[in-house]
Amino acid sequence: MSNKKNALWHLPLIIIGIIALLPVIFMISNSFKTLQESYQSILSVIPNKPTIDNYTTLNHQVNLVRLVWNTFFMATLVTVGKLFTGLLAAYAFRYYQFKHKNLIYLLFVATIFVPFTIVMIPNYLVIAKLNLLNSVIGVALPQLCDATGIMIFLKTMEKIPGSLFDSLKIDNIPNRRIFFNIVLPILKPSIISVGAMFFINSWNEYVWPTLILKDKSSFTLPLALQNYISSEGGTNFPLAMALSSIMIVVPLIIYLIFQRYILNSISNSGLK
Amino acid sequence: MHNNKKILPFLYLMPTGILLTIFMIIPIIYTFYLSFFDWNLIAPTKDFVGMRNYIEVFTDPVNQKVLMNTFFYIILLLVLNFIVPYVISLVVKFFIKRMQGAYKIIFFIPSLFSLVVGAMIFSWLLNPVSGPVAFLFRESGFVLPNWTNSGGLAIIVICLITNWKVFGYNFILLLTGLGSIPKNIVDATTVDRIPKWRMIWNIVLPMNKSIAIYVLILTIVQGLQYVFTPINVITTGGPYYGSSNVLYHTYLNAFVLYKTGNASALAITTFLIFLVLLYLEIKFVEGRSRYE
Repeated sequence: MSNKKNALWHLPLIIIGIIALLPVIFMISNSFKTLQESYQSILSVIPNKPTIDNYTTLNHQVNLVRLVWNTFFMATLVTVGKLFTGLLAAYAFRYYQFKHKNLIYLLFVATIFVPFTIVMIPNYLVIAKLNLLNSVIGVALPQLCDATGIMIFLKTMEKIPGSLFDSLKIDNIPNRRIFFNIVLPILKPSIISVGAMFFINSWNEYVWPTLILKDKSSFTLPLALQNYISSEGGTNFPLAMALSSIMIVVPLIIYLIFQRYILNSISNSGLK
Repeated sequence: MHNNKKILPFLYLMPTGILLTIFMIIPIIYTFYLSFFDWNLIAPTKDFVGMRNYIEVFTDPVNQKVLMNTFFYIILLLVLNFIVPYVISLVVKFFIKRMQGAYKIIFFIPSLFSLVVGAMIFSWLLNPVSGPVAFLFRESGFVLPNWTNSGGLAIIVICLITNWKVFGYNFILLLTGLGSIPKNIVDATTVDRIPKWRMIWNIVLPMNKSIAIYVLILTIVQGLQYVFTPINVITTGGPYYGSSNVLYHTYLNAFVLYKTGNASALAITTFLIFLVLLYLEIKFVEGRSRYE
């Protein structure tokens, strides 16, 4: 009786799982079909005559190495920047007493509630003034800090007892050593997971890059993909699916390696 | 030494502080300033127009439509990205005994992928003329409505695409919240033979309130920004602004129509809506001052 009831509860969960995974399977499978086959049987999972033609065609039409490099470079800049500024800020909040600490912390949290539309015009003008239009550096520059990172690092640092820190201070151990020898090793899992999420989000970023990157040679993967939906690719679905498949490889590998860390850190970001 | 200790924390906060000042605080002030002018982003002069841009936000029929759409988006996002994952997280926590880990891992996978990918796949699958879903509908004697011709239906499709991406993330956040509820409380209700739904309603939901409100707020603030991508990829706000929301319309005014003043006034209006949500966050989630 109880077992049957249990199985019934699994039904909606399995359906959700299928909805989550199906588009991905659909995408990968169509990227190995010919245009004709994808028209005739778009839903079949295993292609009749698997072909890598779409990938080679893609390689002729766009500079894949350049696209991947642009995306990788941008995501790395953003990730390193956010980790660096976030770790320093969290360290200050955790181990120092200073004026208006609470207010400054709330100000940082408040940045999550700033819609990108309110900063996009001035930031666009600044990036244009700096001559960084069509450069991934221009995309990365305004996003080198992130309140979520500070929140998660702070949460992890709170697990290190303050008394430990105080005794190190009394022994006159320099800050640099406390930070690198004690705080960083303890924070390692958080740094890995937060870094992975920063990287994946930046890898997929779309809105802000469309404003800054207009020249095709400066495109990142999402922008190139968008091009395939409208003009160039026209109705060549398998081609677009091939580019999508290339695009998801990196986030997928990062997730498969760091899955446990990533899921844990999301949990921490919400807990107060 | 003493002085050093006073300066150090500010030194550590400086990188974040400088970046926020240049790329957030000053821009907010500048956008506020621009909202009182008529400008086209390029011309050397700006014409002062007072409150006209703000009056237009609420009186212009297109803006009114977009504001109504935004409201519709918020309702749909709340149902799809907050209530549904919440219900599912309750099911996973209290009604099944196995496979919790597997569901977590699988549900999370779509949030790794770009919304451009999601928008493309779903607009293809749901294509009202040539898509496979439309085909299945025809086979079984139904007609898939042409959702690209109707603002309301387009909004629903756009929200479903966003839901595909965000669901797993919100599900895990909410599930973690449920995990922090002491086990003995849950066990006690089982011993006392209190029905599960009552236990959930009377004990679990109130105890999980702060994280639930956090996810609820996040759903609105991030959701309205997330839908930007499928709007831009699939409908570009159409038909006749029918699927546009206040954020997309701001972008359209700023970078397509070059009506910088109107865009700024719309952005400030959005910010005011978000500030109300920030107030709720401080009141219910951040709690009383952590660092006093």
